[in-house]
Amino acid sequence: MAIRGIDYANLSLKDALDLAILIEDEAQERYEEFATQMDQHRTPEAAKFFRYMVENEAKHGRELSARRVARFGDAPSAVSRTMIYDIEAPDYDAARAFMSARKAMEAALASEVKAHGFFVAALPAIKDAEVRALFEELREEEILHQTLVKAELAKLSPDSQLSDEDFVDEPAPQ
Amino acid sequence: MSATGTCEYQPKDYKSDLKPIWCPGCGDFSVVQGIYRALAAIGRPPHEIAFVSGIGCSSRIPGYTTAYGFNSVHGRALPIAQGIKLANPDLLVLAAGGDGDGFSIGGGHIAHLIRRNMDITYIVMDNQIYGLTKGQLSPTSQKGRTTCTSRYGSLEEPVNPLLYVLAYGAGFVAQASPTDLVGMAAVIEEAIRYPGFAFVNIQSPCVTYGEEEHQIKGLKAISESLAGLGHNPADRLAAMDLAQHYGHKMHLGVFYRNPEPPPTYGDLVKERQTLLSKDALPKERILDLFIKK
Ligand SMILES: Cc1ncc(C[n+]2csc(CCOP(=O)(O)OP(=O)(O)O)c2C)c(N)n1
Ligand code: SF4
Ligand SMILES: [Mg+2]
Repeated sequence: MAIRGIDYANLSLKDALDLAILIEDEAQERYEEFATQMDQHRTPEAAKFFRYMVENEAKHGRELSARRVARFGDAPSAVSRTMIYDIEAPDYDAARAFMSARKAMEAALASEVKAHGFFVAALPAIKDAEVRALFEELREEEILHQTLVKAELAKLSPDSQLSDEDFVDEPAPQ
Repeated sequence: MSATGTCEYQPKDYKSDLKPIWCPGCGDFSVVQGIYRALAAIGRPPHEIAFVSGIGCSSRIPGYTTAYGFNSVHGRALPIAQGIKLANPDLLVLAAGGDGDGFSIGGGHIAHLIRRNMDITYIVMDNQIYGLTKGQLSPTSQKGRTTCTSRYGSLEEPVNPLLYVLAYGAGFVAQASPTDLVGMAAVIEEAIRYPGFAFVNIQSPCVTYGEEEHQIKGLKAISESLAGLGHNPADRLAAMDLAQHYGHKMHLGVFYRNPEPPPTYGDLVKERQTLLSKDALPKERILDLFIKK
């Protein structure tokens, strides 16, 4: 997780909203990529869960975009995707071939915790009251996302606690 | 113009529709992201970029970009990239591949692109293994490493890619890793901007055949930023000194940037062409040179 070239102290509400949208976009894309990877490796349960996460991130992204347009129209933004790295998106190395649904959910939970940590760490540097309120809201939103993932985890049957290694062969060098 | 309106190109403009078939978790996923970001920062349109690779998991990378791509022949990315650059000097030319592709079968080519100062950026995804062919010893595998081709442990010292290119006189040498994506995109961008041969070694873990200490966690434990160490990238000998730690420490950032880059081979060729052009025959009369009058 990293951020480049963002001055929190002078962040405007418009750019803060755009930043939040970019963070959701990045997470949505990553989950889409993970879902495709799981399709390719014939693990439909993990793919299904990652698609559920795609929907969650997309929904949140749409809500934020609507707010941005309502308040600032199409005024140009000073933030771009090159400035953010894996804020809410799970790290690439969180995925594995033949992931179980449980492992997929654990990876998503870890990235929601990571995103929460991002907003917590950024808050002290923010001066603008509206931006602060937005970041506090986003921080709380990440807790909500964690609750959603935990609810999915709770729905899993106990035998899904088996480790991936229990049913996946070691890669065979030839 | 991008959706957010700040710069003309966004990373996604360099992402193709082809779905990567790398193993989930492979370090190369981050490398391609680093490349998208660096290209967006450079801002050249995809059709002005040629991206050449050899053969290997890592060499699939051009296909995942919107640049003109050539997933060529094992070990031959560099000569092909060189030909493309000479034939069409205005193209931004990138070459990429694995440690096997670059330092085993293709190792002999590097010296020649360096001594000519070809204006090409060469990215090696160094995972210390032959990934595509399922886990054989590679030229950068550690001594003692057990693989299917070294059942009792390898008896060979690894190649040190950083020292290798520094010793031949490369003008830009850097190292990056998915452990620091910001740094990775920044050094790739800087390498592309360098006027001449630029080499970026990326420690990109193979999650399927790689060793535990070469995974993200292990790499993080041995990583150190060159800028943080106060290293002066204009000091080639200091760079060589630091490069000796390859395999034990993972220094990230720019090892060496020649403060006075020599002319590129392309520049010299252009100069020679200008010089000779006054006596040159028009194209349609070239055959006359070979026909006895
Ligand atoms: C001329 C030739 N020799 C050997 C091979 C078999 N081969 C394909 S990829 C490869 C090595 C791949 O290792 P590396 O370049 O490190 O790439 P990675 O898959 O690790 O990214 C080899 C030996 C080949 N394709 N062509
Ligand atoms: S075998 Fe290794 S290098 Fe190849 S795609 Fe899989 S993880 Fe990546
Ligand atoms: Mg390799």
